[in-house]
Amino acid sequence: MHRPTLMPTPMSRRSFLLRASAAGTAGLMGTWGSKAAAATLVELPFANGQREIVTNFPQKGAMLLQRTRPPLLETPFEVFDQGVFTPNDRFYVRWHLANIPTTIDTGAFRLNVRGHVREQLSLTLDDLVREFQPFEIAAVNQCSGNSRGFFKPRVPGGEWANGAMGNALWRGARLKDVLDRAGVNAGALQVRFNGLDTGVIPQTPDFMKSLAIDHARDGEVMIAYAMNGEPLPLLNGFPLRLVVPGWYATYWVKMLNDIEVLNEADDNFWTTKAYLIPDTPYANVDPGQQGVRMIPINRMVPRSFFTNVQDGAVLKVGQTATLRGIAFGGDAAVAKVFFSSDAGDRWKEARLGPDRGKYGFRRWEVMLRPSSPGTQRLMIKAQNTAGSVQPNQANWNGSGFMRNVIESVSVQAV
Amino acid sequence: MKLIARSVRWIWTVPSLLVITLGGSLAWSQAPSSASATSPGASGWQWSNVSVALPTSETSFPPGDGAEITPQCLICHSAGMVLRQPPLTREQWVGEINKMRSAYGAPLPADQVDRLADYLFRINGASVSHTAKISTP
Repeated sequence: MHRPTLMPTPMSRRSFLLRASAAGTAGLMGTWGSKAAAATLVELPFANGQREIVTNFPQKGAMLLQRTRPPLLETPFEVFDQGVFTPNDRFYVRWHLANIPTTIDTGAFRLNVRGHVREQLSLTLDDLVREFQPFEIAAVNQCSGNSRGFFKPRVPGGEWANGAMGNALWRGARLKDVLDRAGVNAGALQVRFNGLDTGVIPQTPDFMKSLAIDHARDGEVMIAYAMNGEPLPLLNGFPLRLVVPGWYATYWVKMLNDIEVLNEADDNFWTTKAYLIPDTPYANVDPGQQGVRMIPINRMVPRSFFTNVQDGAVLKVGQTATLRGIAFGGDAAVAKVFFSSDAGDRWKEARLGPDRGKYGFRRWEVMLRPSSPGTQRLMIKAQNTAGSVQPNQANWNGSGFMRNVIESVSVQAV
Repeated sequence: MKLIARSVRWIWTVPSLLVITLGGSLAWSQAPSSASATSPGASGWQWSNVSVALPTSETSFPPGDGAEITPQCLICHSAGMVLRQPPLTREQWVGEINKMRSAYGAPLPADQVDRLADYLFRINGASVSHTAKISTP
């Protein structure tokens, strides 16, 4: 079978690999160290988007370095073309606080359950594995600020392209089962989760997140001890991580060691002051707009991406190309994925790959045969089973959260 | 636009074709196995201690007036986070500095905010008119 080339031409591709020695624009102020001078760099397609590809983080392969300490590592986008499950060693990394334990004594580790419960628990890892019915679910973990670098106007924060997301098969114990073991008392309102990481100075609020009690007990929220059939990489939360299917990753507390059932609303900084979105459709406001009610970020929205074609790719006239990518539905399954080869005038349904779980990535695929030379703007959009569809216009908010605009690439038919 | 639309010819996948096209990308249909011996919960599974070393940052702030304040920033995070920000207005830099002070407890005296904001704006400032350079109270 003929395989058309979908590799972009060097001259037209906006995101391209380059060698630092040839870059000429040695970054912001030429602060790259001697080691970085020989490093492979990637230019993400937005201002100040130069990123080093690093392989020196433990249990991680090649990743885009955004920040060393605490680590912010982005998954290179080509990884998403390789399968709907993101390999553990390529899964993105995002920590808020730099005091991260680098040694975990698995025998001494305890998961504590306390607060508004009948009986406090102090569970070993073996307790969790052996005494609770194992539960598995495929789910996308996506940073609230994934794709923040594409916001216009730009906003401060972690300047991700589209690689602050990943899909894994999570295995662990249902949070509901663990809470039932402890016995939630009447009047419980929320459940607060804390991990082993802390701030460097005591003034920094410890990173904690909370869920409503009914959400915590929905039978899907879980405590994962395995990710794609292996223990979690330390930087993804070893040994335990909360998994909140369909919700943004800020709730997926890493190195989870403390669960506290609250009978009053959590007032900690990370729940009440951080990770807030405008209470508007698509969390969208005008830049500078004031007086909008803010609420905690919550459910994810649908997204879809091309994975084997980028801006500037060349297609041969009269030859059939297979275009493919991934989609996910957010807090509901992918219902349909639509493809347009005429900048959104007409849409056709893409063929969907196997369903590996409603919260996971799903492959889509279309065949395209350009019949005459020229530029074509290709677009892809997902609709979930709750009816939510990716919007035509990019959203904007001051935190750079919840981007899910329809993605597009321009290709040349020659 | 219409010209582009006419130039496209749709080829819809038929079952025989699907076999061919999916044949080259089998990885898509393979789910990770949770039953492997490497998975916690598998028969004979034993937890192992994990000990890793995290790399240290080799990125430094460029010299200049105000750079002497930046070690305060490095208490909690490496320089890359700052240097990889989009160009920000001076007002935005002031906002970021004050967020570090008020929300995260950065030990940065109030009388150093302006000097640090000037420095950050100089090394990574948005190219905007001077009207954006608003002094904070």
